[in-house]
Amino acid sequence: MNWEIIVFVLGNILKITGGLMAVPCLVALAYHEPQGWYFFWTAVISAAAGFVIARREMSNKTYHLKEGCAATALSWLLISAVSALPMHLCGAIPTYTDALFEMISGYTTTGSSILTDVESLPQCALFARSFSHWIGGMGVLVFMLAIVPSSGGSKMNIMKAESPGPVVGKLVPKVKETARILYIIYIIMTVIQFIFLLAGRLPFLEALEITFGTAGTGGFGVKNSSCGDYSPYVQWVVAIFMMLFGVNFNAYYLILTGKLKEALKMEEVRGYFIMIGAACALIMINMAGTADSAADFVRNTFFQVSSLETSTGYATVDFDLWPDFSKAVLIFVMFIGACAGSTGGGIKVSRLIILIKSMLREIGYYLHPKSVRSIKSDGKTVDEATVSSINAYLVTFLSIFCVSMFLVSLEGRDLMTNFSAVLTAFNNMGPGFADVGPTKNFSQMSVLSKYVLMFDMLAGRLEIYPMLMIFHPVLWKETFEKRGMRKRHSR
Amino acid sequence: MIFSRKSKESKQRNLNIIIVGCGRVGTVLTEQLYAEGHDVTVIDSDPARMQQVTDLYDVMGIVGNGASYKVLEEAGVEEADLIIAVTDLDELNLLCCTIARRSSRCAAIARVRTPEYSAEVAYLKDKLQLAMVINPEYEAAKEIARMLSLPAALEVNSFAHASAEIIRFKIAEGNILDGMSLIDMGRKIESDMLICVVERDSELVIPDGSFVLRSGDIVSFVSTMKAARRFFMRIGSKQFNIRKTMIIGGGKAAYYLGRRLIENGIGVKIIEKDKARCEHLSDILPEASIICGDGTDEDLLEEEGIDSVDAFIPLTGLDEENVLLTLHAADVSSAKVITKIKRNTFRNVINKLDLGSVIYPQYITAEVITAYVRGLSQTKGNDNIETLYHLFNSRVEAAEFSVSAESNICGVKLQDFHLKKNLLVAAIIRRGNVIIPGGSDTIEVGDNVIIVTTNLALKSLEDILQ
Repeated sequence: MNWEIIVFVLGNILKITGGLMAVPCLVALAYHEPQGWYFFWTAVISAAAGFVIARREMSNKTYHLKEGCAATALSWLLISAVSALPMHLCGAIPTYTDALFEMISGYTTTGSSILTDVESLPQCALFARSFSHWIGGMGVLVFMLAIVPSSGGSKMNIMKAESPGPVVGKLVPKVKETARILYIIYIIMTVIQFIFLLAGRLPFLEALEITFGTAGTGGFGVKNSSCGDYSPYVQWVVAIFMMLFGVNFNAYYLILTGKLKEALKMEEVRGYFIMIGAACALIMINMAGTADSAADFVRNTFFQVSSLETSTGYATVDFDLWPDFSKAVLIFVMFIGACAGSTGGGIKVSRLIILIKSMLREIGYYLHPKSVRSIKSDGKTVDEATVSSINAYLVTFLSIFCVSMFLVSLEGRDLMTNFSAVLTAFNNMGPGFADVGPTKNFSQMSVLSKYVLMFDMLAGRLEIYPMLMIFHPVLWKETFEKRGMRKRHSR
Repeated sequence: MIFSRKSKESKQRNLNIIIVGCGRVGTVLTEQLYAEGHDVTVIDSDPARMQQVTDLYDVMGIVGNGASYKVLEEAGVEEADLIIAVTDLDELNLLCCTIARRSSRCAAIARVRTPEYSAEVAYLKDKLQLAMVINPEYEAAKEIARMLSLPAALEVNSFAHASAEIIRFKIAEGNILDGMSLIDMGRKIESDMLICVVERDSELVIPDGSFVLRSGDIVSFVSTMKAARRFFMRIGSKQFNIRKTMIIGGGKAAYYLGRRLIENGIGVKIIEKDKARCEHLSDILPEASIICGDGTDEDLLEEEGIDSVDAFIPLTGLDEENVLLTLHAADVSSAKVITKIKRNTFRNVINKLDLGSVIYPQYITAEVITAYVRGLSQTKGNDNIETLYHLFNSRVEAAEFSVSAESNICGVKLQDFHLKKNLLVAAIIRRGNVIIPGGSDTIEVGDNVIIVTTNLALKSLEDILQ
């Protein structure tokens, strides 16, 4: 393990955290809120610490995959832990565990909240929550890659650890450029949505917060009713943009470079839209005749499906009251999630496509035991190693899911609550069903459950392995043995 | 456009470069061009090999056949500035470049190493509109031949069509140079040369006049071939002309070297294992004596007179064999030995072995291409980089610029320049004459200037100023 480079990355993350914390200060300034001072001092101390740590000259500037993974996982822990400080200190959230839960939920774009009365929060704290969605959506380290001067080494390993999806491709040869382009697309789309929301007569700050929640597919509401009280126009805007932020960003790059045809041909994007359409249709058939007006019915169905498919977690109605078949459809789309390379969570559509194809191939082997067939995606052969790593991913996903559910079950709640709490945390969704449904929240959970869910949120956002990596004993053994050896040498 | 990529140092622009084939030459090129800040896309048909390169360097990798238009299009050939085809197959390389030339305006460089084609390089270059045709084996042979012309040196690199050379040698134990300062050396031994870099205990020094040489130093100097011969004679190096050479392994490099040596009237003996290859070699190199046998067989080497040849050059395909043969030859004979090493790894171990002259064909090729790319990426076009050598494991660069138009460098006395640190104007070549510059010399239009520096990546002559 090259700890020097990890410390360097963490130092830079502290600097960035400092910069990000300064934004809520502006909000506090505008609203004359004294709580802003907590954000201000956290920003100053964090940035100062970052400058001290990252100043050291490195002797070895190479990242391998393990350094990339460890740096990513530790960075996410660090930024959440630091951001939780002012939330707790300013009195918005009574315990640090809850504040940490809230911020991890924010950065991982989960949107699960422990707050019972969101509207009583100071504006700066409310803004900080939503802002964390926006940063977490595209990724903290991708942000770092885009702005921090290159430190040499293969930065691809960091991007690999943070980007959602089975295979990470670059748009242009250099990682830094790729990161920049991704952020440019992200910012442009954010601005467009913001303008649309302003046009819907939403107050400036609220429009910004809802946009951040949508762009990162996060789902922190600023009203106790989530999005239920907004006008139909605003609900449509949010629903459509949730769907758009769940599309693989490579498609937008293709469109921007004038290759619309290729973008439309992407199997994953097609599958994604087909799934949204199918889910809407199934729910509408199931609930036909129950609603008052057709316009509300269509809008509510589309909003809920779009919100849960992209793992955003905004709600306009209490879908916990929907019939069981509709709930089953929702659980299904929650599992699958958005496209790889988007801001959404879940297993990802591209994985699902490859899993289905490899399942079909397996069935084919029973018919023709000696057949040789490669799995293709977008007309290109998918590496066998990728196929098997996707299979392994699903197994890991399910094992962590089970273990988490056991741990959460210790609390003694009903099965649906436990199941959906883990599902919603792991897939970075937000609300679940029953006791953690859209009208409820996570504040009643025990401390153990909260930490389990925090781990799940981070694991879900970082595609599991980076989070598991930092617990691997070999990693720590190697490090400590090396340290010990160096000490012996110096003696 | 929001995606336009502008580099901060606006004097040069980053090029979009496509490299087809990531074998040894491809990898070295990727490393070099990536280090110079260009946007590199690599194409190879083997995903595993591709993965290796993309893991090491921040470049884009595309798996596929580089001669397919679809693959080239995916690699962004339309916006590329340069395509370099260095796969194993000459035909594929030429096809790649042809397709790329037809579909975009990028410059094309192809590796062509089959003797049949390389005889027609000028024709190919013209008809297929290639910017450059490279042939690592041929370049290696050329370099070996140059080393053989000055056996006392470890390495000989030429500038300006061989009118000046940069020469590296090691000061032997008890040599008269041991303990001599550079000023004294200029006065007593030879004034028509300039010592550029001295490596002592793996530290590099750009020395001044008061610097005192010691035995064990590895010294690089610039001079003409004639002055160098005189110098080596005066310091008492064993002088001999190479008349008989023995080459082990009959590959392409052996053929090119053999032909070159025969043209210079030097006897060539090639030992090659494969019967069919031997017959082919005797066909195309009738003047050489071809021995069919195992070159790593001690008895055979003795029988063929390893102790009586003037130069012994192992050119087998295996680095390990070459190194062992070199060590063996140093043991049993007093011949000049040159070792060819093709793998990029373990260079530090090889340096410790003290093999004498070592050449790395892939680095020679990379230097040629890097020089070309630097010229291409530089927007102000009054002085072009002509030749580029990396010395002392790429820690020192020796570059030759041709001054083709008036600039603020011309006509100013060298002593009035504020040169960058660790940089030396080593020679000025004016109308074929080599001038070892003093403070009152000037650079004029039409000159070729040799710069030696540890500040890597000079792009234009103006970069030498602070």
